[in-house]
Amino acid sequence: MNISFLFGTETGNAEMLADDLNMAFEEQHDTRVANLQDTTVQDLQTADLNIIVCSSYGDGDLPGSAQAFASVLQKERPDLSGVRFAMFGLGDMEYASTFGHGSMKLATLLVECGAQSIGARVVHDASNDEMVEDMAIPWAENVVGSL
Amino acid sequence: MTTNRSTAKIAIVGAGPSGCFTAQALLKLDPNLELDIIDAQPTPFGLVRYGVAADHQGTKAVARQFSRIFTRQNAHFFGNVQIGTQVSVEDVLQSYDAVVLAAGLSEDRNLGIPGDDCPGIIGSRALTRSLYEHPNAAELPELGSHPVIIGMGNVAVDILRLLSKTPDELHGSDLGQGPTDWLASQEFEQITMLGRSSVASARFSSVMIKELSNLSAIDVRTHYLNNAKDGTAQDRFDAIAHLEAETAGGVPVELRFESRPTAITETAQGLTLEIDTPDGPQSLLASSIITAIGFTSDGRLNREALLSEANDKASPQDRLYTIGWFRDGPVGAIAQCRGEAQILAKRILAELKPDAVRKGSALLVDLPDVIDFKHWEAIDALEVSRAPDNRCRQKLSNMADLLRPTTS
Repeated sequence: MNISFLFGTETGNAEMLADDLNMAFEEQHDTRVANLQDTTVQDLQTADLNIIVCSSYGDGDLPGSAQAFASVLQKERPDLSGVRFAMFGLGDMEYASTFGHGSMKLATLLVECGAQSIGARVVHDASNDEMVEDMAIPWAENVVGSL
Repeated sequence: MTTNRSTAKIAIVGAGPSGCFTAQALLKLDPNLELDIIDAQPTPFGLVRYGVAADHQGTKAVARQFSRIFTRQNAHFFGNVQIGTQVSVEDVLQSYDAVVLAAGLSEDRNLGIPGDDCPGIIGSRALTRSLYEHPNAAELPELGSHPVIIGMGNVAVDILRLLSKTPDELHGSDLGQGPTDWLASQEFEQITMLGRSSVASARFSSVMIKELSNLSAIDVRTHYLNNAKDGTAQDRFDAIAHLEAETAGGVPVELRFESRPTAITETAQGLTLEIDTPDGPQSLLASSIITAIGFTSDGRLNREALLSEANDKASPQDRLYTIGWFRDGPVGAIAQCRGEAQILAKRILAELKPDAVRKGSALLVDLPDVIDFKHWEAIDALEVSRAPDNRCRQKLSNMADLLRPTTS
């Protein structure tokens, strides 16, 4: 399967996880890793599956490297029918009222443009003990296995 | 050029966020660099360990990325090495092809008003060093029944939040036993936080204010909460108004905007703080005063001279760089360090002229009690393993234990 691991990051934690996911899948699949700020609508369409890791920043906002990508979706409303994605959020329950809002906003935009969300969006809590890759890799295996 | 560059030696002074992000970016661009990160402390990650609040573990998660600089990108850690006193910057420059000063700003800035040296005035850095069990920390201070925090930035809010938390609200943090007992023993009748800023110009972020709304022990009220006329700070104004409405605990917390401290005097009852307000001068009684108005250099490095040397790109000594708070002053959070570091890394690699004569880490290896990354990993594992159930870590707090963690 052709899988793109895309990340929207502010401090680099989402990039690190995207790298880890890529390492876990690169032997079995045709994979790539890219920053959302370098990702176009065409890029989304060429992958069989886009696995997106997206944090939240500030007051439940999109992280810096996802903002330009999101504003293209917002303004141009490209037709993303046929695009499949799965969203993994990074959040922090110390800020409970906006927990995971960055990934939620991005997933909503993608769906509004016609993309198909595979599986449920999950959000890792950075204030929790569990290692993020221990949660994300089994989640991604489930997503890939469901196709 | 490419073959030369692969042997280039770079030293970064300071293993905090700016130093680590710079190392990460450099090694991503050129994985073959010989990169050494030097820190005055025996532990890496700077403010991630000793500045980010004990109850903000999510923010500290960035340390996992920084660890990989040493475990996967092959940077070397030289902890417990004081550049500026133990080893001069000139010696580091002679031993490395490029030197990045990312030493941060580790001392409290003074108020600069009459009486700012009275006993009972505590800098936020001194206080947080004690709270977060820095090996060079002083004993935790007496705050009395009515401490006043001066400052309107996120550091001031961190201190207000920690002083306001109940023991239950500290679950999952890495606040140590001593500081935990100290906090639990406080009997505050009131806490005041004040600053000259209006709500529009105050430096705190609204998300930090929203976080206070969940606290059970405090009851926030405000003075001079005047909204900006152009509405630019509506989210901050709303966050404060929400905080005032939501909190209903037993300890009054007064937030005083537009209140500029002008003088402090010692009295029999404690300290008297004179402030200038929109209603004219007022006096407040304080049992202690905590200043959180920014940071300054500890003087170990001659910051002004080094900044001008680093900026003087016409000089032959074209290999000195600065970044982070050391370069820009004490403004900006961890995320900003990353972008700045990526810009600086590109510039360094473009200007790098390796010279095989420079000896690199041979300068450092024979110093006494140099801490390497394996040593830090042993400290880290020990601290995590001995944490009680309601804590994620129990720090080693004294220098002897940090230098010899296995024997503690």
